Amino acid sequence: MNPLKDLFDDERKRVFLPGPSFTERVLARLNELRLRETGIWDIVPGSTRPVFAVALMLILCFFIVQLMVPLVPQRGMIEASLEAEQSPAESFLYNETEVPSREVMEQLIALEDQQ
Amino acid sequence: MEFDRELIVRAQAGDRSAYETIVNQFSAMVFRLISRFFRSREDVEDLAQDVFLKVFARIDQIRPDENFPGWLSRVTINTCYDELRKTRRRKTAMETYGPELTAEKSVAPTEPETLGKARLALQGLDPKLRIPLVLKEIEELSVEEIARTMGLTQTNVKVRLFRARKKLARILGVDEGNKK
Repeated sequence: MNPLKDLFDDERKRVFLPGPSFTERVLARLNELRLRETGIWDIVPGSTRPVFAVALMLILCFFIVQLMVPLVPQRGMIEASLEAEQSPAESFLYNETEVPSREVMEQLIALEDQQ
Repeated sequence: MEFDRELIVRAQAGDRSAYETIVNQFSAMVFRLISRFFRSREDVEDLAQDVFLKVFARIDQIRPDENFPGWLSRVTINTCYDELRKTRRRKTAMETYGPELTAEKSVAPTEPETLGKARLALQGLDPKLRIPLVLKEIEELSVEEIARTMGLTQTNVKVRLFRARKKLARILGVDEGNKK
């Protein structure tokens, strides 16, 4: 008796067969794989891709410029340090952007004159 | 195996029913080939799925006049070869660095000892030698068919078969002339 011959005979008999839902499982994995591979460029039609790319670049540039250019400060360090020494009247005069009414202005001038 | 070449054209156009027909028609063949190398049903099923996914990923590369079943066998064998090499590397690493694997060495308790030893010897062969031997002795393919399936020359297949038989005979202490 040859063990190899017996083994080969035995192995010939051992075969697995696909289950009833094997095909569905393969197709489900295939769909899953395709969905994962589909990127944004696959959704955009070929002819609109250059326009889409330019638009994306412009938006990106805009955001970069926004980040690089600092905002003009409304109230800087000097204003902040001087603010402590200012009287409410001075503060009102120099810091308020809206022009006060005539009566208020006269009262403030009178106060300044008294000082 | 009878094969409708129109199926490939339809599959290349992305027809889902063509994919379905291909899987239905060839899954038994793919399962049978993989079963020759793997003993767990889960492994066989996973690898069969991988084979079909590879085939569909490269379906554009095949010409409708090409021998599709032959091409599919080649993809199946290559997938088995890659998996066997990975398993072998993992096993070697475990034997070198991991705990002793006693369960791996065990064989079915109902199996005669000589058959179990022969099975372990076959499983322990390098996939380069094991695959041609299995294709020859179990699948009963000719040297020419093995060469075509594995992408080797016939001489190379013969050399591998000779080395595989010699190695098995040495492990099992069998007279090579007494093999069949």
